[in-house]
Amino acid sequence: MAQQDQARFEEIVERLVELKDTSELMIDLAYSSLLLNNRELAEEVQRLEERVDKLHTDFELLVLKSEFKKEEAKGFLGLIRLGVATEKIADAAAQISEVVLRGIEPHPVLQLSIREAEETVAYVPVTKDSQLVDKTLAEARIPEETGMWILAIRRGNKYIRPKPDSRIEVGDVLIASGYADGVESLKKLSAR
Amino acid sequence: MRALEKVKYRSVPVRDLFLEMKNLSELMIDLAYSAALFNDRELAEEVMELENRVDTLDYLLEMTIMIAARDAHDAEALAGVSAAASAADKISDAAADIAAIVTQNIGVHPIVSQVFEKVEERLMQAKVSAGSSIVGKRVGELDLAARMGVDIIAVRRDKDWIINPENTEQIRGGDVLIARGVQSGIREFKELAEQKPRRRED
Repeated sequence: MAQQDQARFEEIVERLVELKDTSELMIDLAYSSLLLNNRELAEEVQRLEERVDKLHTDFELLVLKSEFKKEEAKGFLGLIRLGVATEKIADAAAQISEVVLRGIEPHPVLQLSIREAEETVAYVPVTKDSQLVDKTLAEARIPEETGMWILAIRRGNKYIRPKPDSRIEVGDVLIASGYADGVESLKKLSAR
Repeated sequence: MRALEKVKYRSVPVRDLFLEMKNLSELMIDLAYSAALFNDRELAEEVMELENRVDTLDYLLEMTIMIAARDAHDAEALAGVSAAASAADKISDAAADIAAIVTQNIGVHPIVSQVFEKVEERLMQAKVSAGSSIVGKRVGELDLAARMGVDIIAVRRDKDWIINPENTEQIRGGDVLIARGVQSGIREFKELAEQKPRRRED
């Protein structure tokens, strides 16, 4: 009985995790796009926003379609509310990225320290000969080795929010921020 | 209804205000999901507390921006800062909505918590008791990551928040610590911080 219930919820939870991870990734990317004044990241946020809208609709339909018992209604309402708030977070991320896309020069009051202002964002593909392949981010120790911070991993048309146990695959594009010399070291790591 | 404080202008750099709003809003998202998914009322209440703080920061930031704008060029550039700050405020509102699922006793289905337990680390709040052995210790000295797989991600000291505390940060009695880790580790950590007598197994 309990196991049957579990199976019923697995898909709902799977969708919820994807929705949550995507909106959190958007926040990371949106704040980075603003602080680094980087258009490309801001554009990623906009693309992800469209994706979240779709994920959110799918999630709501899935929740509504599941046959829940009367006494479970509250628990399902909680899920619906969680989805709505998650979508709101994604909207806020999009709002931040729009500031960058409008091309407004950041006002001096938001001026960053010189160190941060020199940081760039790099897109580095992982080739099949790379030592990073099949390693988790914790094992790969990229920040320690290169000084670069992984903002996101692009896999096909999916984006992955980096977690210590995320595994790097051939063909992944690492989206990372840091200094120019770090970009070179990251490119080397990703190539052999 | 909660009492709303009048926000008085004080001179704080806009950059500092904005970065604090950014850091708090990010922390709030983590706290709120953990509160809702694991039905943790203490965490939910921290989120509500933080939401107040972000509101105050947003007021201060808007006031500072108004004073900083001298001409059309300033106004154009500052409008962007204002839009970004209002988005940070929106994020904090959304986090409060998530926490409200717990404080309003709605809750998410318990099976969702069970499934999440397996895939996600969770956060926990612990109030450091005056007699705890961690009082006076520096965060780095505790070696929590190695000992129990736990990280302290924030400290609330009265009304102030220290996000991602440095290893040199000294823990005081009365501090509220937010820790992230695996279930067993954070439970052990909460006991250590609150120094409850060990339960006898009889």
